[in-house]
Amino acid sequence: MAGINSTGRRNMTVQKRKTFVLCSLSVIALLLLGVRVGYLMIFCSEHYTELATDLHERERDIKAARGRIIDSTGTVLADNKTVCTISVIHSQIEDPETVIEVLSRELGLSEEYVRKRVEKYSARERIKNNVEKAVGDKIRSLDLAGVKVDEDYKRYYPYGSLASKVLGFTGGDNQGIIGLEVSYEEYLTGTKGKILTLTDAKGIELDGMGERRREPEAGKDLYVSLDINIQQYATQLAKQAYETKQAAGVSIIVMNVNNGEILAMVDVPEFDLNDPFTLIDEFQIENVQTENLQTEEGKQEEKKQESTQDLLNKMWRNGCINDTYEPGSTFKIITAAAGLESGSVTLQDNFSCPGFIIVDDRKIRCHKVAGHGAEDFTHAVMNSCNPVFITVGLRIGAQKYYEYFTQFGLKQKTGIDLPGEAATIMHQPDKIGNVELATISFGQSFQITPIRLMTTVAGLINGGKLVTPHFGVKAVNSDGTIVEEFTYPISEGIVSSDTTEKLRYVLEQVVENGGGKNGYVEGFRVGGKTATSQTLPRGSGRYIASFLGFAPADNPKIMALAIIDTPQGTYYGGQIAAPVVRQLFENVLPYLEEIGYE
Amino acid sequence: MAKRPIKFRSSKHNMDYVLLTVVLFLVGFGLLMIYSTSSYEAAVEHNDSAYYLKKQATSTLLGFVGLVFMTKFPYKLLQKFDVLAIIVSALLIIAVLTPLGVTRNGARRWLNLQFTSFQPAELAKIGVIIYLASIIQRLECVGKNVIRTPKGIAIIFAPPAVIAGLIYIITSNLSSAIIVMGIAIAMLFVAVPDYKWFIIGAVSITVLVFLVVLYVSGADTTDSGFRLARVKAWLEPESYSTDRAFQTLQALYAIGSGGIWGKGLGQSMQKRGFLPEAQNDMIFSIICEELGLFGAMAIIFLFIVLIWSCMIIANKTIDRFGSLLVVGVMAHYAIQVILNIAVVTNTIPNTGITLPFISYGGTSSLFLLMEIGIVLNISKHCK
Repeated sequence: MAGINSTGRRNMTVQKRKTFVLCSLSVIALLLLGVRVGYLMIFCSEHYTELATDLHERERDIKAARGRIIDSTGTVLADNKTVCTISVIHSQIEDPETVIEVLSRELGLSEEYVRKRVEKYSARERIKNNVEKAVGDKIRSLDLAGVKVDEDYKRYYPYGSLASKVLGFTGGDNQGIIGLEVSYEEYLTGTKGKILTLTDAKGIELDGMGERRREPEAGKDLYVSLDINIQQYATQLAKQAYETKQAAGVSIIVMNVNNGEILAMVDVPEFDLNDPFTLIDEFQIENVQTENLQTEEGKQEEKKQESTQDLLNKMWRNGCINDTYEPGSTFKIITAAAGLESGSVTLQDNFSCPGFIIVDDRKIRCHKVAGHGAEDFTHAVMNSCNPVFITVGLRIGAQKYYEYFTQFGLKQKTGIDLPGEAATIMHQPDKIGNVELATISFGQSFQITPIRLMTTVAGLINGGKLVTPHFGVKAVNSDGTIVEEFTYPISEGIVSSDTTEKLRYVLEQVVENGGGKNGYVEGFRVGGKTATSQTLPRGSGRYIASFLGFAPADNPKIMALAIIDTPQGTYYGGQIAAPVVRQLFENVLPYLEEIGYE
Repeated sequence: MAKRPIKFRSSKHNMDYVLLTVVLFLVGFGLLMIYSTSSYEAAVEHNDSAYYLKKQATSTLLGFVGLVFMTKFPYKLLQKFDVLAIIVSALLIIAVLTPLGVTRNGARRWLNLQFTSFQPAELAKIGVIIYLASIIQRLECVGKNVIRTPKGIAIIFAPPAVIAGLIYIITSNLSSAIIVMGIAIAMLFVAVPDYKWFIIGAVSITVLVFLVVLYVSGADTTDSGFRLARVKAWLEPESYSTDRAFQTLQALYAIGSGGIWGKGLGQSMQKRGFLPEAQNDMIFSIICEELGLFGAMAIIFLFIVLIWSCMIIANKTIDRFGSLLVVGVMAHYAIQVILNIAVVTNTIPNTGITLPFISYGGTSSLFLLMEIGIVLNISKHCK
C-alpha cells in the first residue's frame, strides 16, 4: 500500500511546491476577477444602472394639455376640456359584481362588455375613454377598489363647425388630423409627462417600490389671424348662398392684401369639429346610394367602410386650397397686368369686338354674342370682353406670357400654412400654341386654387409684393410669453407700381360701372372682377360663379373672394357672387375701420 | 524497502475549523441568497416563495449528513474504490440515456430516483478525483518517473478524458467536462516536477483563444454554429441583447447596478423575472446587485480562504493519497469559482457553471459537502 521511498519523498516536496503554485495561481485569478468585478461595479455602474433602470421602469404617460387656438379678437376657437378615462386593475378589484354593475350603469355600457374587461386578467384594462368629468368624478367618489379614474384632455371646439376646414381637429391621441391642428402640431402639442413605475419582467407594477414623475408641459397657444366676427358673417353669407342657389359649395376667403393674413376662410358645407367622424347630411345621401348598389353582404360592409372614409376625406376637404378650378374671367386681371407691364397694351388702346374672334382655326365666342363693338381696354375689362383679352394675350406672346405667369408666382404653391395645398395645373411652356394662349388669357384650360388666384391678384394690386397667405401669427406659452412670432416670405417687385395703379383704377371701374357693379358698396371704393366659368366637361351646364373684390380701391387693404360652385338658376358671377362680397364688405369694411385694422 | 504501516496521530489533531467555518458560512449565505433570488419567481411560478429554499435546504441537510459521514469514514479506504468510481461514474452518465434520464431546460442531464433527481456529472467529478489520487500514488510506488512515461500519462489521463467525453457527448454539458479535465490537469500538474509542458500548453491555449477571438470578431455569425455564436455574443453582448447574450447582459445589468454598497438584501430588481433562474449560475450577479462591491469582495475573499485552507491541508498531509485528494478537491473548487465569476462578469463566454455552495443545485451541494468532509477528515491526520 502506501509507501514512502526516496522518489516518493522527493516527489512529495515537489508536490507541495506545486500545490502552492497551483493555489497561488487560483488566488491570483480570483483577485483578477475581483478587479474585474470592481471595474464593472464602479466604472460601468452608471452605464449598466441606466440600462437596467430603462428595463425596470414602465412608463405611463400623462397627457399634456394641447395649446389653444385663439383668433385675432382673443376668442378661443379650439380649447381643451377635461375628460376621464376609466380603467380597472384586475388584481386590485375586491368586489367585481359591484364594479361591473356600477360601471355599466354609469358609463351606459352593456354589462357583458364591462364584465369581459373586469374579468380579464391584465395589468390594467381600459373600460372607457372620453368620459365626461362629472361622470368620472361620480365614479371616483364611489371609491371602488381596483377602479381607476384618470383625467385626460379632449379637444373641444366652442364654435362647432365654424372654420372647420381651417382649424381642423385632433384624433385619439390628441394629434392633429387636418387643418391648423396639423400645421402647428409641433407648437400645439405639449410634452407628455411621465409616471415611471418599477415593474417586474412581466410588466406588473411592484408595490411600495416608489415611482418617479415628470410633469407634463402644456402646448403653446396658437394665435391666428382669423377674426371670428368676419368668419361668422362670411359663413352666414356662404350658407345663405349655398341654400338659395342650391350650390354644391360656396367658398369665401377674406385676406389682408398687404401681408397675407387671412381673416376668414369659409368653405360650406362645413362639418362639426366636435364630431368630425360623422358624415353631414350632404354626404350621407351619397353614402346611402352607394350602399344600395351593393349586393353581397360582406363586400357591402367593406365597401361601406371604404366609402365612408372616402366620404369623410371629401367632407374634410378645404376647397379654397385643396382643389383647383379654372378661374375664368377673374384671371383677366393677370392678363391685364401682363399686358400693361409688358407694354403690349395701354388702358386707352382701342379694340373692336364682333362677338367672336378667330384664333388659328378656332372661333372663340365672346359671352356677349352680339359683340361689344368698339371699346378701349378699360371698357374691355369692364365688359370682361374675351376677344380683347385674347388679342392682348396673343400680343404678349406665349413665351412672354408664360414668363409673367411664372413671375406672378402662379406656378408655385402659395405656401399657406395649411396642409394639402394643391399645385397649379398648367400647360408645358412648349405646348402653348395660339389657341391655348387664347384660352389662358381669359382664365381657361388650366387650373389653380382659389387661394393662389387671390394671392397673385393681391400681389398685383398691392404694388408688387407677393405675400404668403397665412393664419398663424404667433405661438404663446401658457404663461403668456411669446415663443415665436411667425414670419412669412414676401417676394417684391412682381409688377411695377405703375401697373398696380392702372389695375386698381380699371378694377374699380369694373365695380363702379362695369360687370361688377353688384359688388358696389356705398361709401367705400371697391375694386373687383367677376367670373363665370363653365366647368369641365363643357356643355354640362355646370358653372362656377365667382367675384373677387378688394377695398379701398385706391389703397387696397382687404380682399375677398367668393366662389359659388354649381349654382342652380342664375349662374353669372356678377349677379350671384358679387352681391355676396358686397354684403360682406358692407359689414366688414365699417367693422375693420372701427377696430382700426391695418 | 520494507513496507510499514503509517501511524496516524489522529486523536491529537482536530480537523481544520477555519475551513469548516468558511464552508458553513458559505452554505448559510448560499441558502439566504437562494431565498432572496428565487422567492419572487418562486411565488409567481410555484405559489410558494420558499419553494427553491426548501428544496435546497433538504439537499444541504443531506449534504451535511454526507459531510459528517466522510469525516468519520477512513478515507484511505476510498483508494480501494478508484477504478470502481470511474466505472460507476461512466455507467451512471450512460444511464441518462435510459428511460431513467430526465430532461430539463432542453438538456438531458439528470437521473430520476423517484423521490429526487440526481446529476451523475457531479458524482463523476469526485470519482475522477479519487481515481487520480489513487492512481498517481500507485504509479509513484511502482517506480521513479513511471508517471512521466507515455504509458503513465495514458493511465492517468485516459479515464478522466473518457468521463469528460461522455459528459460532453451524452449530456452536452461542456462546463462539467471542462471541470473534469481541469481537475485532471491540475492533479497531474502537482504530481510531476515538470513545468515546461504545462507552460507550453497554457501558452498555446492562450494563442488559440486569441486566434479564435480574432476570427470570430471579424466573422459573420448569422448562420454559423452555436458555440461560435456564443463567442461572438461574449465579445459584443450589447448587440445580442435579445437572444444569445440576453442572460449575460442581464447579469451585467445586475452587477453594474449594484454599485459599491448594493441595493440591500432582497432589493434586487433583476431577480424579478429579468434574469431568468437567477438562483442558478448567475446568483453571483444578484449578490453583486444586492450587496454591492463589498459583498462581492467578501465572497471572493471567502473562496480564497477556502482554497488556501485546502492548500495548507494538502501540504501538511504526509499521506500521498490524501494529499492528492485534497489537491483534487481544491482544484475542483478553484476551477468552478473562477469559471463561474468569469462567466457572470462576461470575462469568458457563457457556459453554465454553478458557484460552489451558493448556487441552487441538489447533487452539486451534496458532493461538494462530501468533498469538504473528506478534506476535513484528512485535516485530522495532518502532521
